[in-house]
Amino acid sequence: MTPAPTPLLEMRGLAKRFGAQVALQDCSLAIAAGEVHALAGENGAGKSTLMAILSGALAPDEGEILWEGRPVGLPDVRSAQGLGISIVHQEPQLVASLSVAENIGLGRLPHRAGPVRLVDTGAMRAAARAALDLLGVSVPVEAAVGAIGVAQRQLVAIARALHFGARLIMLDEPTSSLSLGEIEALLTSLRALRARGTTLVYISHRLEELRAIADRVTVLRDGRVVTTAPMDAMDNDALITAMSGRELAADLQAGPPPPGAEPRLRVRDLAQGGRLHAFTLDVREGEVVGLAGLMGAGRSRALRTIFGADRRTAGTVEVRAADGWRGVHDVASAIAAGVGLVPEDRRALGLVFTATVCDNVGLRTPPEARRWGLLLSRVLRPLAEAAVETLRIKARGIDDPVRTLSGGNQQKVVLGRWLRDTRVLLLDEPTRGVDVSAKAEIHRHLRALAASGVALLVASSEIPELLALCDRILVMRQGRVVGEVPRDRATPAEILSLATGATERRAS
Amino acid sequence: MTRTPWWQRLAPLLGLFLLCLVLSLASPHFLTVDNLLNVLRQSAINAILALGQLLVIITAGIDLSIGSVVGLTIVILTLLMRHGVSALLAAAITLGVGTLIGLGNGLLLTRLRLPHPFISTLGTLNVARGAALLLAGGVPISGLPPGFRGVVAGSLLRVPMPVVIAAVAYLITHVFLSRTVYGRDLYAIGGNREAARLCGIPVDRRLNLAYALSGAAAALAAVVLAARMNSGFPLAGTGAELDAIAAVIIGGASFFGGVGTVGGTLIGALIIGFLRNGLNLLDVSAFWQMIVIGVVIVVAVWIDVLRQRVGRAA
Repeated sequence: MTPAPTPLLEMRGLAKRFGAQVALQDCSLAIAAGEVHALAGENGAGKSTLMAILSGALAPDEGEILWEGRPVGLPDVRSAQGLGISIVHQEPQLVASLSVAENIGLGRLPHRAGPVRLVDTGAMRAAARAALDLLGVSVPVEAAVGAIGVAQRQLVAIARALHFGARLIMLDEPTSSLSLGEIEALLTSLRALRARGTTLVYISHRLEELRAIADRVTVLRDGRVVTTAPMDAMDNDALITAMSGRELAADLQAGPPPPGAEPRLRVRDLAQGGRLHAFTLDVREGEVVGLAGLMGAGRSRALRTIFGADRRTAGTVEVRAADGWRGVHDVASAIAAGVGLVPEDRRALGLVFTATVCDNVGLRTPPEARRWGLLLSRVLRPLAEAAVETLRIKARGIDDPVRTLSGGNQQKVVLGRWLRDTRVLLLDEPTRGVDVSAKAEIHRHLRALAASGVALLVASSEIPELLALCDRILVMRQGRVVGEVPRDRATPAEILSLATGATERRAS
Repeated sequence: MTRTPWWQRLAPLLGLFLLCLVLSLASPHFLTVDNLLNVLRQSAINAILALGQLLVIITAGIDLSIGSVVGLTIVILTLLMRHGVSALLAAAITLGVGTLIGLGNGLLLTRLRLPHPFISTLGTLNVARGAALLLAGGVPISGLPPGFRGVVAGSLLRVPMPVVIAAVAYLITHVFLSRTVYGRDLYAIGGNREAARLCGIPVDRRLNLAYALSGAAAALAAVVLAARMNSGFPLAGTGAELDAIAAVIIGGASFFGGVGTVGGTLIGALIIGFLRNGLNLLDVSAFWQMIVIGVVIVVAVWIDVLRQRVGRAA
């Protein structure tokens, strides 16, 4: 691809401060017409601020923006849209109760002549279909957005941008809640868009995805542009080094548990409504077992049902404690038996955002921290301090409100609850939305937990994560375990084909 | 549980201080020991009701029924005493009844899974008031033993007894919220119910407890009110839930849950009390008083909104 002589969009010396905090500094970058330009960087590197400025949601303190070579001001979202710049957020901002067609057209629905301005439903649906056609997908335009899947919502949001005449679409982590198959489908749609000349700015933490779609990549760190280069010119190590500013430690590759290790978790024929069937599994002391599968395959359901957070309809869960096997029936008995859960969505399920680091770590209160109903802070505070130190949580202190921490550090706070007295740890997407170096750190801590004898069961939609972390991987499809692969023989292709049902192998 | 920046925590206190300063400049009768004790006595009932409301609001809930619970329990209390039950036993029974009604509110929420406590407690609001009127036959109940009024509406070392009762309730609730597992759990449930559940906190039991205590606070307020009025008026406490909610919110608690303190609520109740008293001293008509209180509530909630916004930006 030959870059156009004049970039479609150019930023020169953008700077943005929030109080004393510098979010962007001397940020210059050019987006060529028709390219897919990846923005990479850790959380807090300035990607979101940059996107907000370009979409007109935030005004820069310094610097200028050029659209096709002409300086432009972007005082608000409407003016950016007017130029042809649209943003599609991680969680598409759509009205769940309205139809797909209404959402795509919202704000400029076609209407019939006359004082009443009746919406021209036919024209509206036709326009929505036309926009979706550009993406090469068929989404029922009459369906309510609340009734379609996350992946389709993402497409609806992109179609909405196209309907508004977007020539540059910024995608902020569009795949963070999509399954592998859906990601592939989305990337295909985006390639179709590129083929017809739409320019894309693409943010994602997943390097393999950037590699699959992007022509060029710009790496941001601490609010500055570190480098802009053709995607092919940077291998993953170079990217990670540029993002984190330091070399990463070599792969974890901790050995599998000793062959004689005894089972810690025993799950037999567990079922949950129509969503989980005959789930049977043993996890040994010190073993890390992965759960792979497409979105909706039942990974989260399996973890939640083992933990007792979702009521099971059949089956047994047992944990081996010092005094023998203990049954798990509900959350209380799970915790009492030494089972912990790091849930999927730390914001919705993991953290109390109004509370401090200390209170969040202490939310799972060990019995010795309570006496006569009183909380003993002399027990709880050292517990939180130990978690901050062990996991190297970046906070000024344990009394910091947890909402002031970055995503990776928040995730560590959730993990910090289960550092002590845990025999079995269940983790659901332990590094979703976490930047590359925090991810590596969390992986290291998980391996360290395993090395200390904890049995780990990890569900993840990122196959590379499972491959890096697990001793063996169970693949789920439609609520069942459809196969098991040991790490030394696991490949993404094999896992994917099991997950999609292309091949099937009985679990051992 | 929550450690907000000092300027946020001090905002309600600063408001109270400014209010007192203005009132003492505006009226020579304001800053006298008698008047201040008077305000405290008048604020005691709302302060006690606000305490129960605070527990519920911390869980991101609301209890609209407390005014009616005051009406029902005051009728029960006075009927019992008129039928010869000793004041102490009658008060104990009244507190028990209030607790049970509150527990009922909790069960409507946790067992029937009604979508929001607004609905369950709105139901109880009507049921309790109707029951109060039925029991009392629509008229006030009088003829209480003289000792009851003498003790509960009297004073201890010059401090009015209602103030002493409220102070003890505040002290206990402060310890409850800041030092016990139960209090911490209420904050956690209000801040993130699912996260609390996944940490093994028995969410339903804690919610039942919060509503039960709110009912108990309403019954305690009824005991104090019965002594002050020396009768049991079935319409007592009408609209009192709104003053209690106002005190909690002015005191810095958040309707979104997870935030709120006993100290803030006390200040909120005092701001309302001082405002009423000051406006009375300044001969402002009752009609204008309503308007002023209304504005203060809206401004306080607006400050709450600003606080949330600042909190999110941080």
